[in-house]
Amino acid sequence: MLNYITFEAKRMLRNKRYIIFVVAFPVAFYLLYSNLWGDQVDDGTGVKATVILMVSMAAYGALAASLMSTSVPWSQERQTGWLRQLQITPLPSWMIILTKLIASLLLVLPSLLLVVLAAVVTQHVSLGAGQWATLIPIMWIGTIPFAALGLMIGSLVPPDTAQPLAMISMFGLALLGGLWFPVSMLPQTMQTIAHALPSYDYADIGWEIVAGHTPPASAVAGLLAWAVALGALALFAYRRATVRA
Amino acid sequence: MNAITLSAVSKSYGEVLAVDGLSLTMERGRTVALLGPNGAGKSTTINMLLGLVRPTAGDIRVLGHTPDEAVRRGEIGAMLQEGTLIPEMTVRELVDFIRRLYPEPLPLDEVLQMADLTALAGRRAGKLSGGQAQRVRFALAIAGAPALLVLDEPTAAMDVESRRAFWANMRNYSAQGRTVLFATHYLEEADENSDRVIVVARGKVVADGTAAEIKAGVGGSVVGFSLGEQSSAGLDALPGVTAVEILAGSVTLRTADPDATVAALYRGTSLEVRDLQINGADLEDAFLALTQPAEA
Repeated sequence: MLNYITFEAKRMLRNKRYIIFVVAFPVAFYLLYSNLWGDQVDDGTGVKATVILMVSMAAYGALAASLMSTSVPWSQERQTGWLRQLQITPLPSWMIILTKLIASLLLVLPSLLLVVLAAVVTQHVSLGAGQWATLIPIMWIGTIPFAALGLMIGSLVPPDTAQPLAMISMFGLALLGGLWFPVSMLPQTMQTIAHALPSYDYADIGWEIVAGHTPPASAVAGLLAWAVALGALALFAYRRATVRA
Repeated sequence: MNAITLSAVSKSYGEVLAVDGLSLTMERGRTVALLGPNGAGKSTTINMLLGLVRPTAGDIRVLGHTPDEAVRRGEIGAMLQEGTLIPEMTVRELVDFIRRLYPEPLPLDEVLQMADLTALAGRRAGKLSGGQAQRVRFALAIAGAPALLVLDEPTAAMDVESRRAFWANMRNYSAQGRTVLFATHYLEEADENSDRVIVVARGKVVADGTAAEIKAGVGGSVVGFSLGEQSSAGLDALPGVTAVEILAGSVTLRTADPDATVAALYRGTSLEVRDLQINGADLEDAFLALTQPAEA
């Protein structure tokens, strides 16, 4: 199992697209935005934009990492015969999807931690120890619904469809979830949709933590519900994809 | 215990019957070729042995277990027709990864050596040529030291030189007492690399034996000579002869036993035999005769 997890992680870390989109982009945008609007202060909470942007860009990086490390690679493995190669080894089928999930969680860490590091080092962001201790684990584990979505996409469609679908999901969830600009800037109907998305709940938990609040129960419940729903769909799709004819 | 036992195994895809009541047993330690034209049901049979495809009817045992159990116990290694490697990983990493999934694998260096990959061990799979990638896939198949090695048209993408090297590697592996089953539609490959050939066509076994037996079974050898004006009476009664053709004073005898036919021709007749020619069995003819649909 450990053998398989390191194999998967190593493989993604050597993927240029993963490194550019998932690791470099969020950090680069964090630095850019902080320099543009970093001095603004949120009227409601009094939190500096550098802190809010840290959460937003870390959320974007983590979201992108989970989707990118699951959807397309998994779809390719199914189509190119690598899955069959694994199916004729003693590796049990359930271990494949479990490993994919664990590997995607590992691959979230570089994006998440690099944005945080950039915030601390360049913008001197500082939070209380308790805030860090809740923020980072929650933003880490909170990517499970996105990994499930990625695995579902990878199980259902071939790679050339999985690629655009993953991209649309990634940017759609990031934009509508308020990771690129506040949801309050959207028209009313769009706001309603945005508030229902897992990406909004996910980032909202982070924003509330840095504002010194307890994460709202609605956001936590929303994210959990998404995790359960997408997890169930991903399992169903996975079973369908690996069934022996 | 047999390496493989198929009992009345059938597989249909909708209306199409890919495998039609196939029954056969394979002893351990042998190298067996599954020979047949495209669409004969070879790949379906192999995929059923590996547990990748479920038979519609019949029972399959691999080393005494169901295919799924045998796979789980690490007793099977296989090279399937399609299979791309993970391009970001090196040859060594790929082989070592698969190796470690098995309970009692071969040492890494030994696998690399047996597949002629020692010099390529550090190269990423995405930078390999087609033939090199095939060698890696062979290495993945043997890495777990499986008791049964299954190869589905393993040389399909190889040039002549790679083919020769590949079969040498395969024999090297099978020489250690392991069972090998390979599918091919190349006659010479079946002839040169197996000690038993099972010919399948339209989902059924149409011949089974050594390559020589199969050739003999369809009266493969040809004895020809010049008869001139002499009488052809009695030629059809010579030992081994299955057919006599005479054209413009030239005789062509089809025979299952060319040695006996020729001996009797000289000792048992008073004919003056000139321009004698014996042509070795033509496996190609035998193969075609066996696998063509019978004419209605």
